[in-house]
Amino acid sequence: MRQNTFYLMAGVTGLVEVGIFWLAVQLRNPFLIMVSFIIGFVFLYVLWRQVSDRKDDERAVYITEKAKSRTLDVFWVIFFALSLGSAVIGFSTPLHIPPPNPALPPDNFRVIVRNVHPDRPFMGYFGLFQLILLFLLILLYLVFRIYYSRKYGDWDSDEE
Amino acid sequence: MKNKIKVYRAMHDLTQEALAAELGVTRQTILAIEKGKYDPSIDLAFRIARFFSVSVEDLFQYEG
Repeated sequence: MRQNTFYLMAGVTGLVEVGIFWLAVQLRNPFLIMVSFIIGFVFLYVLWRQVSDRKDDERAVYITEKAKSRTLDVFWVIFFALSLGSAVIGFSTPLHIPPPNPALPPDNFRVIVRNVHPDRPFMGYFGLFQLILLFLLILLYLVFRIYYSRKYGDWDSDEE
Repeated sequence: MKNKIKVYRAMHDLTQEALAAELGVTRQTILAIEKGKYDPSIDLAFRIARFFSVSVEDLFQYEG
């Protein structure tokens, strides 16, 4: 299989995944997109192994390694900072501990009860937050990939 | 690290593409090495030297 065919198949797979994501939201079935995503990834991995005109020489591998390493270096700091912020929000929230006498709830407990909405999709917001972090990870990788590609002469013009 | 790959390539009348094909790397890698933007691995350095039938020291000069 040629590399361009692989990219075409990857694009089609991506569109199918978007469709399945929409379907999963409609059906309220999170496992549908989770399983589909893993199957899609395995499918693309198998296809990638069959690409015949792939040229991964040592410089390309070096660029990839450098970009991955720097992405990890920067991402863990951002992830740590955001996690610390999230932990502060978590610890600042009252702990839902019932008062000693349930017949006489204290003022702050009444506030908690009033603010809790069982239908509110807390986990969904958490998922969106994770997706934003994932996109940040991909963006960081692309930036570092471009930087190291330039540094190690990927786009230099031929002098011949 | 300085190198004389371009000189030896010219002596053997080889294009970057042809040398890259002989060594199993991309033309961009040969270009990057010639321009000093990328230092090859020891393995590739020896393969280049062997291809031109010279020593690695003849081909590469380390600039400490």
